[in-house]
Amino acid sequence: MISTVLERWRRASARRSLIPSLLVTGFLLSGVCILSLLFGAGTVPVADAFAVLGGQGSDEARFIVTELRLPRTLIGLAVGVALGVAGALLQAVARNPLAEPGLLGVSAGSAFAVAVAILLGASAATLTVAVAQLGALAGCMFVLAAARLQGVGNDPIRLVLAGAALSSLLMALTSLLLLFDERAADEIRFWVTGSVSGRDLSNLISVLPSLAVAGMITALIARPLASLALGERVAVGLGHHPGRLRLLVVIAVALLVGSATAIAGPLVFVGLVVPFVARALVGADIRRTLWLCLPIGPIVVIGSDILSRLVAAPTELPLGVLTALIGAPVLLAIVRARRMPTL
Amino acid sequence: MDLSQPKHFNQAAIVAPAGYLRIPLSSSARGWNLLLEKRSLVVNSLLLLLLMAVAVVSLSLGTVKLGPAEVVAALLGEGSQIHQFVIRELRLQRVLAGIATGGAFALSGCLMQTLARNRLATPGIIGIDNAATAFAVASVVGTGLALAPSAMALAGAATATALAFGLAGGSGTQGYRFIIAGLGIGAIAGAVTQVMLSRVAIDAANAAYPWTVGSLNARNPVATAILGAGLAIGMVLALILGRRLRILLFADPVVVGLGINLQRVRFLGLCLSVLLTGLAVAVAGPVGLVALLGPEIARALSRYQGVPLLASALAGAIIMVLADLTGRLMLAPLEIPVGIVTAVIGSPYLLWILLRRSPKSHL
Repeated sequence: MISTVLERWRRASARRSLIPSLLVTGFLLSGVCILSLLFGAGTVPVADAFAVLGGQGSDEARFIVTELRLPRTLIGLAVGVALGVAGALLQAVARNPLAEPGLLGVSAGSAFAVAVAILLGASAATLTVAVAQLGALAGCMFVLAAARLQGVGNDPIRLVLAGAALSSLLMALTSLLLLFDERAADEIRFWVTGSVSGRDLSNLISVLPSLAVAGMITALIARPLASLALGERVAVGLGHHPGRLRLLVVIAVALLVGSATAIAGPLVFVGLVVPFVARALVGADIRRTLWLCLPIGPIVVIGSDILSRLVAAPTELPLGVLTALIGAPVLLAIVRARRMPTL
Repeated sequence: MDLSQPKHFNQAAIVAPAGYLRIPLSSSARGWNLLLEKRSLVVNSLLLLLLMAVAVVSLSLGTVKLGPAEVVAALLGEGSQIHQFVIRELRLQRVLAGIATGGAFALSGCLMQTLARNRLATPGIIGIDNAATAFAVASVVGTGLALAPSAMALAGAATATALAFGLAGGSGTQGYRFIIAGLGIGAIAGAVTQVMLSRVAIDAANAAYPWTVGSLNARNPVATAILGAGLAIGMVLALILGRRLRILLFADPVVVGLGINLQRVRFLGLCLSVLLTGLAVAVAGPVGLVALLGPEIARALSRYQGVPLLASALAGAIIMVLADLTGRLMLAPLEIPVGIVTAVIGSPYLLWILLRRSPKSHL
């Protein structure tokens, strides 16, 4: 029933233009950001936090809002944008609505690489980011290689299952590493559940260059990707190079997912939910989807983060758990859709 | 020959099909006959022997190393007190738990694969393991003690199955859709388990931890006993159901045309599979990949047209005991949970099944 409603909505909204959706989601995003500054993560009454936003408030309240909640919100913003865009790119190039960095093992690859690096003694933030990106690159290569295999590409679900198998293998190997080394175990656990708490702005700054590069690549390939959606031959006929395009997508996705994983750990389902919602709002064109992923990604991540603070207060839930709880029903909705949508 | 008078049949004149062994259960003309396939007879005997050998090896290795003769002596109540204690109190429990869980997971996997006509449709992959785990952890976390883990895990397994089949709108016909539905349910159940573990005091979390990775280290003797009984009954029921399951390999109209009540066979098989998975998770936690590997090996070995139920269970038990042994010895004194060992072995195999160029068939 849900899926038929979604289907109807999607069909009706395919003609809806981009600007109103962008305005509405942008408005929602600013609301979510303010909520993130007002609630949870530290014991400050909402009124005090509100006073801080107005330039007043006690020192304690100001400390919590500006030193704890603000960096966390900014990091959520970056992670949301990165994962949303990465999901949209991966789905477009694999032509599979279920392609998702978390489900397909890209995030797991990234986390595994980080675990290995920590075990070998790495702790510098920049090194972690580079290693995470390398892991994501390997995972992404695997996904695309699998998608290019005969028969697998036409079968979205088989690809997802392969991703699940890869993820479970990498997670088992990561747990194996945890057994080796107590010190590493503490640091690695940090990544494995996924969280944006306890990070400071230096983490964010270390990934900004990668995000900028990935953004430029994305801007460059949005149009060719849209023609790739018409089929490989059409894309070639229009003067594009599918092989080169795929390579650029892999690099962009690796940079984005690697950065996000380095800061927040492997967050499953964000890359599935965000493009799904974006497509439902403005239709399947990748160019419009990408624009809309910019506000929707952070809405999902920051919104989940707010929930993770509030649901079990005063303790916090891992963010990865919240995104799984939100994302799995969306996965079910996509699968339940009468006709598996192809991209 | 006059078909209306079957008593004129000469029992000795009935010839078994090629490759089969016929054992008349009574000498009278209308008596029952048991048809056994020779190859599966051989395969099952070999697997049984192998299982016994693996069990003895597992009993003999560890911190205290014993020879096979000492193991047998200790099992029979002879030999030194220490040996008897190590073998009978420590290792035997564990090996028995391994055999029971491995057998149950693999039998359950074999049943479900047959019902869904898809070799990937095993309880672990469609999220039944995770849901059973979530319920078992809920009982530990909620009550502070392992309140009847078998019952809780069973409830979880049943819930997940109902959800997966309900959301996919039926079993076999929907193909992979039902597996993805299960994947989503498994993800939710896993997340819920994480939530519960992060909410409670460290002691309760530690008590519940073995359930989340799959380990034979924290097995509950009562749960093992329940599983043993369940496995014995389940195996008998499965073998009785086996003839019909075999016909289930054909398309639905053929099955119905042959006079099989399709819905009922599916329902019974599913119940059996859920029962076995739930009970096994209560002992060992989610070690789902055994359910994929066991039947796979059994099919490769027995190569006959039926459903290799017994061989699957035996192969699963062997895998489980071997994986547990590997986990105990590889990094000794550190112990790798059996769930991790099977994941490291099983996942590449799963990938291979999925990514092969031309899958011969789904089963």
